Amino acid sequence: MLILGIDTSCDDTGAAVVEDGHQVLSNIIASQYEAHERFGGVVPVIAAREHTANISFILESALETARISFADLDAVAVSHHQGLMLSLVVGVSAAKSIALACDIPLIGIHHLEGHIYSNLMGRSDELRFPFLCLTVAGGHTLLLKVVSHGTYELLGHTRDDAAGEVLDKVARHLNLGYPGGAAIEKLAKDGNLHAYSFPRPLMNRPDGEFSFSGLKTAVTAAIDRDPDLNQADLCASFQQAIIDLLVSKTMRIAQKHQLRQITLAGGVALNTPLRKALQHAAQEHEYQIFAPPRDLCMDNGAMVAGAAYYLYQERGPDPLSIAALANAPLGKTGVRYRHESKYK
Amino acid sequence: MQTLLLDTSGPFTTVLITKDTTLSTSCILRDRPAEHLHEQIQTALDTIHGSPRDLNRIAVVVGPGSWTGLNIGVTAAKTLAQVLQIPLIPLYTLDVLAASEGKPSWTLMNAGRSQCYYAQHSTSGSAEMAVAPIDTVTRQIHTDPDLIRILEYGDTFKERFPGNKMYRSVDRLPPDALVKAMHSASGIQGANIKSLTPAYLQPSHVEQDASR
Repeated sequence: MLILGIDTSCDDTGAAVVEDGHQVLSNIIASQYEAHERFGGVVPVIAAREHTANISFILESALETARISFADLDAVAVSHHQGLMLSLVVGVSAAKSIALACDIPLIGIHHLEGHIYSNLMGRSDELRFPFLCLTVAGGHTLLLKVVSHGTYELLGHTRDDAAGEVLDKVARHLNLGYPGGAAIEKLAKDGNLHAYSFPRPLMNRPDGEFSFSGLKTAVTAAIDRDPDLNQADLCASFQQAIIDLLVSKTMRIAQKHQLRQITLAGGVALNTPLRKALQHAAQEHEYQIFAPPRDLCMDNGAMVAGAAYYLYQERGPDPLSIAALANAPLGKTGVRYRHESKYK
Repeated sequence: MQTLLLDTSGPFTTVLITKDTTLSTSCILRDRPAEHLHEQIQTALDTIHGSPRDLNRIAVVVGPGSWTGLNIGVTAAKTLAQVLQIPLIPLYTLDVLAASEGKPSWTLMNAGRSQCYYAQHSTSGSAEMAVAPIDTVTRQIHTDPDLIRILEYGDTFKERFPGNKMYRSVDRLPPDALVKAMHSASGIQGANIKSLTPAYLQPSHVEQDASR
């Protein structure tokens, strides 16, 4: 089954062709990095404008790379839930046009499901339900029990900022540019992990709750106090605080719920020290860590097509009336992982 | 020659299908173009017992107009044209407005921040569009004998032209004007379709706002 996956949930325009949920025939991503860099973060109206300008070229490139035409597609999938509203509607509009013109099923995917399913792409034989998924990105930090296809249980989430968001904001405070996670990781390589003693909020609590805003405040205050500080030391200490929080909570929840397979998803999953730290912690307890290939960690169309392959078999196609939603509950059980006011 | 015509530039979403110069069907909805545009297209095609493959070309209003509406409409139209490999006709809001009269006229629409888009049309054909403060433009054209066609969703212009017999205001682009404008506009194909973007309302403000 050939599925075209489209993701325009934030600032990357992604389109990909995936066969049978795992074989990635193409995965094209147009980054808008240059359009947003001077603003220090994503500007939603500019992101929407760039998606509209790029979408046709990205679709063409995805099909050409996969050596197929629109007529060969069996379905089209799109991230329609979770993201920037102005951006989501562009991908949804394109996907609906393809479904209508080609007379093929339309499959709406929750953006987070795309990230979760990026772990199953090519490794579905090894990964068994239920498993634990740590999703860490610019907009989310949450621990989910993936019970079965499309069914999730929330085991923990951030009370305030997401880990990726904090990385971006500290990087901006240091004038390291955008996106901040990669810049901090690069600087941290040469820094001393113990140079600063930053707080690890809620780390000793037994639940899966995260909090990063206090850490962000402590780091930005340290920057403001000493303009001549050693940036490498600060980044190394700051990054380590985030890794300690993520790894300790993940391992504790995995043990508590007896989930021996742990998956990592989202843009922060690109962080090499985090991957290594999780792997190291898991080995001690003989747990298995799964992390998607690096090109499936960022926002992309392949993960959307991958998720669509499995979820289409569970729940069938969606109508042409599906709407884009900036914040939407996740999965069959409607998991709410943000403050209630966000869903209105 | 069957043409699908889309307008998502304002609070109404208009979907028309024409056969040659005749309007075959129209489907006009108020609000929420994002969710309903494609259903409307499907309904319009069902009404004429047709399918997307029966379409020979697509026309779409590219603006100025609603930021999100234009993104949705232009993306929908250019993706349909790309898949079906048919030409696309971009229509400009003020040209459509002028087409409804077919005689010399001024056309105006609100551009926000006390500015307006305006153009002076010698006939119903396309004209150069400009942006200027509303007060400057209205002073300039107040005594002009030509017709003043205005697209407005409030009373901004009405208050500036009280009792002017040449003043005509609409709250959406009329279907007959869309059809007329489409017939006098030229289509684009191939790479030009893929690079088509909306004529946004005051794009320069986006960068200014983001820099604050």
